Amino acid sequence: MSAVPASETSLPGVHYARREDHRLITGTGAFTDDLRPDQMLHGHVIRSPHARARIVRVDLSAVRAAPGVHWVMTAEEVIQQGGGSLPNSFTFPGRGGTTQQVATMPVLAHGQVLFVGQPVAMVVADTAAQAQDAAELADIEYEELEPVVTPDQALAPGAPQLHPNVPGNLSLHFESGDEQAVAEAFARAPLKSRHRVHSQRLVGFPMEPRAVIASHDAQTGITRLFTPSQGVTGMLKSVAVASGIPAEQIDVLTYDVGGSFGLRSNPYSEHVLVVLAARHLGRPVGWTGTRSEVFVSEYQGRALTLDGSVALDRDGRILALRFDDTIDLGAFSAGPSSLIGARNLSVTMGGSYRVPALYMNSKLVYTNAVPMAAYRGAGRPDIAFAIETLLDHAAHEHGFDPVVLRRINFIPPEAFPYKTANGTLYDLCEFHRTLDRALELSDWAGFDARREAAARQGKLRGIGLACYLEASGAGAVPADTVQGDFDEQGQLTIYGVTGASGQGHETSFATIVEQELGLPASRVRYAAGHHGRALMGNGTGGSRTLYGAGSAIVELCARIREQAQTLWAESGGAAGSAPDLATWIPRLDAAQRARLSAEGKAQSGSTFPNGTHVAEIEIDPATGITDVVRYVAVDDLGRVISPQLVIGQLQGGVVQGWGQVFCEHAIYDERGQLSTGSLMDYALPKAGCIPTVEAEQIQARTELNRVGAKGVGEAGCTGSIPALTNAMMNALRRQGVAAMDTPFTAARVWEALNPAA
Amino acid sequence: MNISIEVNGKAQSLEVEGRTLLVEVLREQLGLTGTHVGCDTSQCGCCTVLVDGQGVKACTMLAGQADGCRITTIEGLGGQSLHPVQVAFTECHALQCGFCTPGMIMSVTSLLSRHPNPTDEQIIEGLAGNLCRCTGYANIIAAVRQAAGAMAGSAA
Repeated sequence: MSAVPASETSLPGVHYARREDHRLITGTGAFTDDLRPDQMLHGHVIRSPHARARIVRVDLSAVRAAPGVHWVMTAEEVIQQGGGSLPNSFTFPGRGGTTQQVATMPVLAHGQVLFVGQPVAMVVADTAAQAQDAAELADIEYEELEPVVTPDQALAPGAPQLHPNVPGNLSLHFESGDEQAVAEAFARAPLKSRHRVHSQRLVGFPMEPRAVIASHDAQTGITRLFTPSQGVTGMLKSVAVASGIPAEQIDVLTYDVGGSFGLRSNPYSEHVLVVLAARHLGRPVGWTGTRSEVFVSEYQGRALTLDGSVALDRDGRILALRFDDTIDLGAFSAGPSSLIGARNLSVTMGGSYRVPALYMNSKLVYTNAVPMAAYRGAGRPDIAFAIETLLDHAAHEHGFDPVVLRRINFIPPEAFPYKTANGTLYDLCEFHRTLDRALELSDWAGFDARREAAARQGKLRGIGLACYLEASGAGAVPADTVQGDFDEQGQLTIYGVTGASGQGHETSFATIVEQELGLPASRVRYAAGHHGRALMGNGTGGSRTLYGAGSAIVELCARIREQAQTLWAESGGAAGSAPDLATWIPRLDAAQRARLSAEGKAQSGSTFPNGTHVAEIEIDPATGITDVVRYVAVDDLGRVISPQLVIGQLQGGVVQGWGQVFCEHAIYDERGQLSTGSLMDYALPKAGCIPTVEAEQIQARTELNRVGAKGVGEAGCTGSIPALTNAMMNALRRQGVAAMDTPFTAARVWEALNPAA
Repeated sequence: MNISIEVNGKAQSLEVEGRTLLVEVLREQLGLTGTHVGCDTSQCGCCTVLVDGQGVKACTMLAGQADGCRITTIEGLGGQSLHPVQVAFTECHALQCGFCTPGMIMSVTSLLSRHPNPTDEQIIEGLAGNLCRCTGYANIIAAVRQAAGAMAGSAA
């Protein structure tokens, strides 16, 4: 089979931005559906058409008899093969000593279905068309039951119970901080404001539809699973748990990945089904989702409601913050959804501000929707959205300048390291620097004149800012390790866990080596998830790869330098001199080269990327259409390794935030049907939505890891969602619109401006 | 049915079903997997190829409709070197995950054949049928401008 990615090539005279690019611009990359094992069979998944129903009768005899069909799998077959449920990654203690109640998703539904799109059976046939044709012959009788579509419905007294082990559909009632202290602060505060944000359900939408291929080798007993992932070790562990197959008998291989945004770190039913089918049938089995079925089956993002309150003194100093959150888990706990609803919302709930008293309580609730899981930021953008819009709301309500209100509440430089009232330790941030520069770049002071000029043209201008802070991923395993070997040409190959999906790991890691060892970046390769190597590490996620695996690479370089120095001295190198690795290593023999092989290991926890984003918008009141006329992002991302890639990540993140603010919304109707089940109904950002992001980085190095970087993957949307929303509300409040949920689609903006129409 | 098409300069005679899409022929029968499938409603543009020099979403065309046509896919665009649009995409960092990239490059090639010196409006209109989830499009727009400049330079 052609299961090996095309080798890296480059042509002279072309200034490639990244080492990854040549194969991707010539169509010679290796995305999972591009792999074509000989004799491969094709799966088609039969899904629930109902949001909540009892499965009364399943007759698949006609499916089994259809042309080309090899096997039809139901829950029964999965259980016989030892398969079970897709694992939940995190649990947390609840309020008042309660224990979290978790419902995990069975690989195939048995007895009942709990969301539209839930997998019920899989047909395996010679061709994808035969599998789909056969699936249409399935005779499955359902008894439809009343669904619970919103968290409010799910929490209402007498609501239908989705899971017998979860009373009241409440998986977890989480809390963080000091409720009493916050209550006392509110009781004596002269000024208070309350503002609720609904961070709506979104479809993550990596451009590559989910795809899996499994191929079993009866000789070795090992099943190879080809799939997009964010790092193979986490995926392997979860597939082993869900399939009941020992992890030693599975090998996960990931080549090119067409976007992840959090959606490729956890397995889905199809991962388990193709592994079981390949082992049962002795032939490779593949499945590639159509976009329509990906819409109804892929874990969705956000789905959080954060009801925030702030207590202020007469000068605008924050006395306390409180958030009451509702987390829509969907029908089951998938991957990190509890982490999002508990840890990720609470650790930075004070944002960039000195707040003496903090309290959050979050209800994590099951509903009849697609399970919620990580999507770019995984709770971080949501809490920044809530804090930064709450402050604007309070500023408006009590007559403060939104810039001044932020400035007087910033944690001052001398207060670092700063421990928040609920226990998070920030190392060092320079909020005034990013704010000052963003105000300057955006000509904040000149806005009134621009607004008046726009008004003369009949347009409504608004300006808004956000001074966000986020906590990057702490890491799910204790350390990141990498290994490095030189070949006879002196090329260094680094093996690690974290796998890229557009971030450019190959490029950034090679740059780190060039800076550390003086070995040209063109002589360094990176290979993620190499079978047979005992590596530990985190997948790509939580903005942490550059400093997580990157710190391990800094360590690796230190080991290589030491070992090279010893070998150099032994072979007669002058004391105090060092070899030029690029020319020296190719002259070594194999045994000498082997002595340069090394491992790097580093423990790196959360960092605190932060910054100020300013957005300026213009609404055409005749149509409700909004243009973003200016966007400035001044970020503190720590040390920057690859400036072009950092700006690329930032621009992409800002525009994903634009999508949430202006167009994206996964909407379920009252029967629990996904109304926005295709690109006909679910709008994604298109070219031109934000023409330019004016981006600068202040590069305040952190000491929390060996690279000095803080991470960039999630900064863009964490800043842009509140900045764009505040800009919209700045314009809309002047027209008497007091509050409005995202997305600000043209139709909704027009309706808000024309309430009588 | 039997169809005769020319793909990247090579004549092909193929047996296809009536329901077979052009994109299926390219990916599955001819192994040209650089043309990607990103949706099933003809909106993402990942499968864009040139049919007789015009950008076409290969998922919107039945293989039978392509009978007698000349098809260019990403694999055949640059020949042994790179097409100026390919060069511009890497130099401007106009790709991250790269899944939308072949379709983007084919659409931009088609756009520049219609408008060799496109205005911003023509660029945005020309990209309206192609979605990218990674880049935020700013660098793609920059790549279109760079490619237009390079092609004008080489034509002069």
